[in-house]
Amino acid sequence: MTILDLKNVSIDFPTSAGVVHAVTNVSLSVGKGRRVGFIGESGSGKTTTALSAMRMLASPGFVAGGEIHLNSLPQSNLLKLGAEEMRRVRLSKISYIPQGAMNSLNPVMRVENQIWDGIVAHEGGVPQDELRRRSDAALASVGLDPKVVAPLYPHELSGGMKQRVCIAIGVCLNPDLIIADEPTSALDVITQRHVMQTLRDVQAKIGAGLILIGHDMGLMAQSVDEIAVLKKGELVEFGPVRQIIETPEHPYTKELISSVPQVGGASFLDPAPAAPARGDAADNGQPLLELRAVSKRYGSVTALHPMSFTLDGEVPKIISIVGQSGSGKSTMGSLMLGFNDPSSGAVLFKGRDINRQSADEALSFRKEVQAVFQDPYACFNPFYRVNHALKFPFERFGLSRNAAHTREAMEEACRAVGLAPETVLGRYPHQLSGGQRQRLIVARALMLSPKLLIADEPVSMVDASLRATILKNIHDLKDRHGISIIYITHDLATAYHVSDYVMVLHKGHVVEAGPPREVIGDPRHAYTQLLISSIPWPDLDRDWGSSDDARAALDRLEQLEGRPETILRGDIPGFTLSQG
Amino acid sequence: MTEPNAAAPETAAPDATGLSKRQVRRMKRFDNPWRNPKLIWGVGLLLGIIALGLLGRIFWDTDMVFTGSGLPRQAPVGIENMRGQVGSWAHPLGTDVTGKDILALLIVGAPNSLYVGVLASLIGMSIGIFLGFSAGFIGGRIDDVIRVGSDVMITIPPLLILVVFQAAYGDISLTIMAILIACFVWQSPTRLIRAQVLSMRESGYVQMARLSGASTGHIMFREMLPNLVPYLFGSFIANVTTSIVTAVGLEVLGLGPQRVPTLGRVIYDAINSGALIQNLWWWWGVPTLLLAVMFIGLLLINLGLDEVSNPRLRRL
Repeated sequence: MTILDLKNVSIDFPTSAGVVHAVTNVSLSVGKGRRVGFIGESGSGKTTTALSAMRMLASPGFVAGGEIHLNSLPQSNLLKLGAEEMRRVRLSKISYIPQGAMNSLNPVMRVENQIWDGIVAHEGGVPQDELRRRSDAALASVGLDPKVVAPLYPHELSGGMKQRVCIAIGVCLNPDLIIADEPTSALDVITQRHVMQTLRDVQAKIGAGLILIGHDMGLMAQSVDEIAVLKKGELVEFGPVRQIIETPEHPYTKELISSVPQVGGASFLDPAPAAPARGDAADNGQPLLELRAVSKRYGSVTALHPMSFTLDGEVPKIISIVGQSGSGKSTMGSLMLGFNDPSSGAVLFKGRDINRQSADEALSFRKEVQAVFQDPYACFNPFYRVNHALKFPFERFGLSRNAAHTREAMEEACRAVGLAPETVLGRYPHQLSGGQRQRLIVARALMLSPKLLIADEPVSMVDASLRATILKNIHDLKDRHGISIIYITHDLATAYHVSDYVMVLHKGHVVEAGPPREVIGDPRHAYTQLLISSIPWPDLDRDWGSSDDARAALDRLEQLEGRPETILRGDIPGFTLSQG
Repeated sequence: MTEPNAAAPETAAPDATGLSKRQVRRMKRFDNPWRNPKLIWGVGLLLGIIALGLLGRIFWDTDMVFTGSGLPRQAPVGIENMRGQVGSWAHPLGTDVTGKDILALLIVGAPNSLYVGVLASLIGMSIGIFLGFSAGFIGGRIDDVIRVGSDVMITIPPLLILVVFQAAYGDISLTIMAILIACFVWQSPTRLIRAQVLSMRESGYVQMARLSGASTGHIMFREMLPNLVPYLFGSFIANVTTSIVTAVGLEVLGLGPQRVPTLGRVIYDAINSGALIQNLWWWWGVPTLLLAVMFIGLLLINLGLDEVSNPRLRRL
């Protein structure tokens, strides 16, 4: 018994440059009570396909061909319904859980009123007691205490709670099909596990079909029964989750699965060259980078508690700073770049305080310390061709001998990160994909040959299949070009493979630090253990646990807040760390 | 090492099959956003007014703006006035009660009105760019002063101050009037630019520029300013409209320049000399029409620029 059937669905977007075929000839069915995952990269048509079932395609998109049947309707073809009939279907038959819960709830309405809205819109006047009873039941079904949460406004809730409120709205009318569009992409892994399990539980309880849209193979493996892999608007593979993950047939599916790095799995990096490039020791015997009891406070909030470390650049290293949002890891990055002044302590580069430099010293510091930022879309000025981002610093730091030399250096750097110069140079940023842009930023860092590179979440906004490539590029900077790297990330698996030393940050404290094989391979601190057990692995036999586990984990986290302790798990030469 | 260009654009390529000729033609038009019909019409109307001023000076005798250049109260060509005189080609748009030629007044007056508007707006924008960048980029105490200052100035009705000022000083030149008006049109560009600079300051490419060792001047004028151009254009055109409205308002009250013909001045004279009672409609009607054309032109330019800078507003 299937609940939703897509038959040869094609979706077109007429644009000023011609018609974009966003989805071509997709056929699949969602069984009653089954969970189907739509996986693919950005632009692959996964959201568009799912939204076509709600007839909510963004203008000017339209279903150009095929049929969409919702089998619980007397007249099942959704495309033949009138606007008013379709309105009745939305939420009551097919509900939608949006990506960014923070933007989807009305900030001036109490949570319970927002649930009542949907009920009243579909059932007309319902007595107040009845409304309250049903909203309380909906909130309770997603694990929120209705007495506490119902009268609150959205800004009083955490991100995970807001997402669960969105789920409560989505299930309050017992729909036959739930479409969840990357419902956890804005949440950290610990909350993600809890929200996904809540969604799974409530879906199983009301017996609805679920379409989960996402790009994370691990999350899919832990959450769905069947997977549909989409690429450029075409369904390349569709089947039960075990079959897709264990014996993928299409090369694209294989690529997607292999691009998820696993702790302890095979490394995706090239083996290190026998004689790695040497960094250089600072001329005056000072360490390359030193933090002396650095802390940062924003008003009454302490983003980073006092910590110290020294990194001597003699042998280039990759130091990973791992933590969830709000752990203070990005604050550390901006302190090391000199974009922020520390509240106490000092950041020293080659023995000089970077916040007390003359203009000349500041310029040479800039030349030697470069960064790769998270968002490759924002890093290029839309007004200029991409060459500007590469050429300007090269000339500004006096590295360029003449125009031809600059050109040559740009082309060489592009080739070093695996881009063909003629296809990227001379283009405008919007003409390039996210992956191409991020590799250009790595190429830019390479051209300047800094001593230290701060990579702040360099791959978190890049499609999964390209992450490994970009990390390889960054890793090459260390091995081939002798650049020490501070790698800031929330992704433990990549940190495991890439780094020489890992520190795990939680609420501005270093909770565990040491070589990755110890810290991530065999975590001792409760927080690190929790992080690792919350990661959704693309491995069906490594279960995520139940929602009770997830809730217990969150409670444990609450208890941890009070007593930060640092577990040091061994040292590596050239790097020393101390808290305080 | 992977093969180059592994990161090809992800989405399927558009194709133009199955579209009607008309749709294809309309799509083509969007290849160059500047070929926007609203923008072209708006610019055309304004250029028409400028052309009237330039060509008029060549092909028409502008000395006829003086009193007694022709018979008084002549109607436009082919129309009879209250005395039964039919208008002639000597004064195609008629004359006023003192015998000034209306066409000559328009040829001299319309560019003057436009000049006041453009000059006032240019000065206001320059102040706005300077203050907006200072407030947004430097921040702190300077930001507080500029923000409070511009907010306070926005609440003061400009006409009130201008009326008092002009009544006290009497006759002033066009340029002085433009400068006076400029004192009241810098606030909104200041706020607009401040807001944009604040959000842009944290953007990735500004951070990248800082990493590249760029100077503050470079970041402000080479990285940020080019991206503000659409906003600046829009704000400029809106300011020209406000300035002309203010200038005409003052002139119609008789507080503008006394010796230079402007459109507002012509309307003031008409009202003052009883043109409405005497049914000399061409005296006040034609300059009003010209002002309307000017405002419609400016409005169309503004709408057109909106569409150029915001592709979502474009319709297929």
